Amino acid sequence: MNTGMILGLTLGSLAAMVPIVLTSVGAAISERAGVVNIGYEGILMLSAFFGTITAELAHNGWVGLLGGALTGIAIGIVHGVITVYLKGDHVIPGIGINLIGYGGVAFGILAYWGTAGQHQVAPNAQIKPLWMDAFGNSLSPMVVITIAVAFIAWWVLFKTPFGLRIRAVGENPEAADALGVNVELYRFTAVLIASALSGIAGAYLSVDWLGTVTKTIAAGRGFIALANMVFSGWDPILSLVGGLIFGFFDNLAIYIQNNPWLAGTIPWQFIATLPYLVTLLVVAGIIGRARAPKWDGIPYKRE
Amino acid sequence: MEERTPVLEMRDIVKVYSDGTRALNGVTIKVYKGEIFGLLGENGAGKTTLMKILFGMLKPTAGKIFFQGSEVHFKSPADAIARGIGMVHQHFTLVEVFTALENIILGKEGHGLFSKIDVKNAKKKLQTLMDELNFQVPLDVPVENLPVGIQQRIEILKMLYRNVDVLILDEPTAVLTPIEVKELFDVLRKLKAQGKTIIFISHKLNEVMEITDRVTVIRKGKVIGTVNTSDATPQLLARMMVGRDVVLRIQKKPHKPGKTVFRVEDLWVKGDRGEDAVRGLSFEVKAGEIFGIAGVEGNGQSELIEAIAGLRDVEKGRVYLMGKDITGKKPRELYDMGIAHIPEDRTHMGLILEMSVMENAILGMYWRREFSNGWRLIDWGKVEGHAKELIDEFEIVAPGTRRPVKSLSGGNQQKLIVAREVSKRPEFIIAAQPTRGVDVASTEYIRNYLVKLRDEDKAVLLVSADLDEVLQLSDRMAIMYEGQFMGVVKPDEVTEEQIGLMMGGVSQ
Amino acid sequence: MNLSQSLRGYLKPFTESVLAILIGVLVGAIVLWASGYDAIAAYKALVVGSVSSLTNFAQTLSQSTPLILTALTFAVGSRTGLFNIGAEGTVYFGAIAAVGISQAIPNPLSGIIAGILVGALWALPAALLKVYRGVHEVISTIMLNWIAFYLAVWLALSVFVSPSNANRTVAIPPSARLPLLMRNTTLSWGFVVAVLTAIVVYVIMWHTKLGYEMRANGYNPRAAEYGGINPKAAAIWSFVIGGMTAGLAGAVQVMGVPPSYAISQGLANVYGYGFDGIGVSLVGRDHPIGIIFSGILFGALGAGATKMQQAGVPLEMVKVIEGIIIVAVAIPGLLDLINRMFRRGRV
Repeated sequence: MNTGMILGLTLGSLAAMVPIVLTSVGAAISERAGVVNIGYEGILMLSAFFGTITAELAHNGWVGLLGGALTGIAIGIVHGVITVYLKGDHVIPGIGINLIGYGGVAFGILAYWGTAGQHQVAPNAQIKPLWMDAFGNSLSPMVVITIAVAFIAWWVLFKTPFGLRIRAVGENPEAADALGVNVELYRFTAVLIASALSGIAGAYLSVDWLGTVTKTIAAGRGFIALANMVFSGWDPILSLVGGLIFGFFDNLAIYIQNNPWLAGTIPWQFIATLPYLVTLLVVAGIIGRARAPKWDGIPYKRE
Repeated sequence: MEERTPVLEMRDIVKVYSDGTRALNGVTIKVYKGEIFGLLGENGAGKTTLMKILFGMLKPTAGKIFFQGSEVHFKSPADAIARGIGMVHQHFTLVEVFTALENIILGKEGHGLFSKIDVKNAKKKLQTLMDELNFQVPLDVPVENLPVGIQQRIEILKMLYRNVDVLILDEPTAVLTPIEVKELFDVLRKLKAQGKTIIFISHKLNEVMEITDRVTVIRKGKVIGTVNTSDATPQLLARMMVGRDVVLRIQKKPHKPGKTVFRVEDLWVKGDRGEDAVRGLSFEVKAGEIFGIAGVEGNGQSELIEAIAGLRDVEKGRVYLMGKDITGKKPRELYDMGIAHIPEDRTHMGLILEMSVMENAILGMYWRREFSNGWRLIDWGKVEGHAKELIDEFEIVAPGTRRPVKSLSGGNQQKLIVAREVSKRPEFIIAAQPTRGVDVASTEYIRNYLVKLRDEDKAVLLVSADLDEVLQLSDRMAIMYEGQFMGVVKPDEVTEEQIGLMMGGVSQ
Repeated sequence: MNLSQSLRGYLKPFTESVLAILIGVLVGAIVLWASGYDAIAAYKALVVGSVSSLTNFAQTLSQSTPLILTALTFAVGSRTGLFNIGAEGTVYFGAIAAVGISQAIPNPLSGIIAGILVGALWALPAALLKVYRGVHEVISTIMLNWIAFYLAVWLALSVFVSPSNANRTVAIPPSARLPLLMRNTTLSWGFVVAVLTAIVVYVIMWHTKLGYEMRANGYNPRAAEYGGINPKAAAIWSFVIGGMTAGLAGAVQVMGVPPSYAISQGLANVYGYGFDGIGVSLVGRDHPIGIIFSGILFGALGAGATKMQQAGVPLEMVKVIEGIIIVAVAIPGLLDLINRMFRRGRV
């Protein structure tokens, strides 16, 4: 271990933390309001794709993030209408969204760029790092923004009337309804916030961190984010801790694969399982203590 | 009567539910400012329906509501609250993990959806309210950790914080001990002195006599009459409430109990939050005996039943059935050994609502030989025959054995449970809240059936929050308070006052 | 009387599934059109490729084979109240098991048994994590799918790699293959195995005590426990039975599909069936008999996709259509909703 390696791993972990934390924070807000969505994987996929398109059209990575957010919101509207207004199942739409995500991006890359499975994001459409060294280590402004988002989300959830109402409609919508809190509106808003954050995370994958769109770009991060949300007890600030842990192993797998002297000793496939294995172990160790919002995933209908 | 104009008038209210049930048949009530108005009636008379209409939770089929001189149409409770009508339900609507403060200010937190909640200011306002009423509520503790009496005060504060003029209380004493009832009445009197109008819904004559100024009695969705409480007697109100209809009277001949069938020794059981819900109970139930357990709900009855029915771990102590130690046995073993269990929660435990009538008819006995064919598969023909037998014998009204059980009415669902449990041919029957939320005819049927089981020398453990039920049916009864028996008595050798004291934690 | 009762019970879900499929096709057309493709030509290719001839229809049935089996995994889970989406990873191991065992014991039965057993084994981690640690099965099965993917890639390319072709595993020896039902197609006895398995699962779920226990637990675990059912056992059995059908899917897929009878690079010929099975199950309303039909429909989409690809439309478009169908299935009371819309339109 030398300092360069430590620096590289640290910065890499922070970079890998961003999409997981943004999605976890969103998912926590949505589930605090009582809406489950397992379609974040699909949102990450589609917003990585549409984020790239908008970024390349505007020659600006930040516009790409906006494009990602809008993609997320569009999907969120579908999920929100089905779950919040039509009182449908909370899990099934996500299955469909994920399928559309994986199929749609593979299709879209071919249809839009004419390449199979992968597209390199144009340099002028990528977000410039805050800092970079000669070895390619870099720090994205999105790392700072993500940390800020986690703190702001915590503050809004626990210190403001908006947050109180979000939590109330997820814990006891009946009580909230009786006091004039519009349950459907707050639940729907929470879904949109979650999908927007996840959309930004997806665009970050392509126009910032990885600089490419592939047909498997989300690579399970949508689900790792859900695991992280449980791990952090639906708390945005704690999700930073979990996000760093997951980010570390996510990045470690990439790091080891890129270092032949390490990769030679163990099959790379074993290392690639690390983030998923760690997620499983962490979640298995944590559950039991964690307590989900009481009305999480349950449609609310008035008597 | 008086020339004053009422602050609130509900005129000719009719409510027909979508399934055709007529809950209200043209009810008119008038409530005057600054009075405590009693709404008296039996379970199912329509009191709660009427108040839910007033509070914007239900839409009336016909009729008008006038409040403070103008006609109102409340679309939601929030509408009603905004106009100054508040309601405290029998089952509280509190966010359990929120503090009292959060529960109270929810939806009325102050300015700015995204600005910091002004906790200090809210607390100051609440402190003033509490001082005026001379009671205290811990504002910073999650309400799930507070006793029901305090939770009720939080519900009242929630309404007062919104400056309601009219406060509806639906059976507010059902969950309270006698001491808590006294304290509640003090609060109500103070509110009245402040000029608030209170609607007090109850079926308890003494309470209505004690606290109300006027009382309207309703029966089967109709107003029977309105009297000034000072002119009324409990006897008069009772006649109005029950009418000439035959009161549920259970034919119970004396019966000599046999040998001990069921015995519990120093039983300790933990509740969901890890507290000691049952604390060292010992009792026995004999063949040919109904042993009743009364008490305010939430004093460990549910945990006791679950522990002896194999649904909750026993911390300490032993349970015996016909001399055999059955502590810690699973439900399936218990049923095979001769226990039947009518659970207190019909819709969440006793039945699987989405499954068919016949599938429900074998819950807890589906493994028995009599329902299998030669291939060891379930023989649905035999199951259907069994279901039809239950339906015939208990006169259950069911649209068909293959329809989901949720298509049955509550009373028929409960009859199906009782029928099924009895068909297990048990020696010992646990009957928990056997007639809760059940129509009068079914109630009578079920109660008579429990007596019949006793006469057939079965041992019956009856647990009910309905004191009358326990008094009528039991041969011996215990009153449970905070996980212990305050006394074991014979129903005909005990006064109402003694029972009241025991329910409030005074041991006899 | 009873028959018409139950028929009416099936009619509504059936109509809703058909509606969901129509919505999928329609929205899919809009996506195609918006991406600059000729939607009509694409669909034409889809239909031609799947049902225009006996050979093509055989292709459809062949494609439906693994889908029916993985759909059963999801259906058994769903009926038990579990969201078991772990079929995907289990399929890989079922295929590896068949490849492995057939080298030692080269007959079809050994491959099938190995697939089933390995499938049951791989179901255990998620089952035990659920029952003893309370880990939600969506999270555990997804993580296990990814772990299975990398482990299976390693097994395929390091342990069972073909000595003659580094891009695939050794092939199943001819004596261990499932015979074809129709020459010059890929339709093998695997399809018959899948249909029989669906029938067996139906019997288990609706005519055995275990099935009663699983379904009761699925609707209401608390009432099930009260009813003498062990909820833990019901959940574990549900995972295990689901694992068996998914493992079988993988085995059948390598044992019955010419020409390679081997697992190709990146698990390409066994990849994706687990996820598609979820959609098949949802459209088939989590019922084994419904699944046979919706499996054939999805099989047709798969078979037609190849033709569509030849007509210039990327075959991944089919996944988008499937996804839209699932989202449409999730709309509650779809039939009533559309009824209402039409009524409003008429006024």
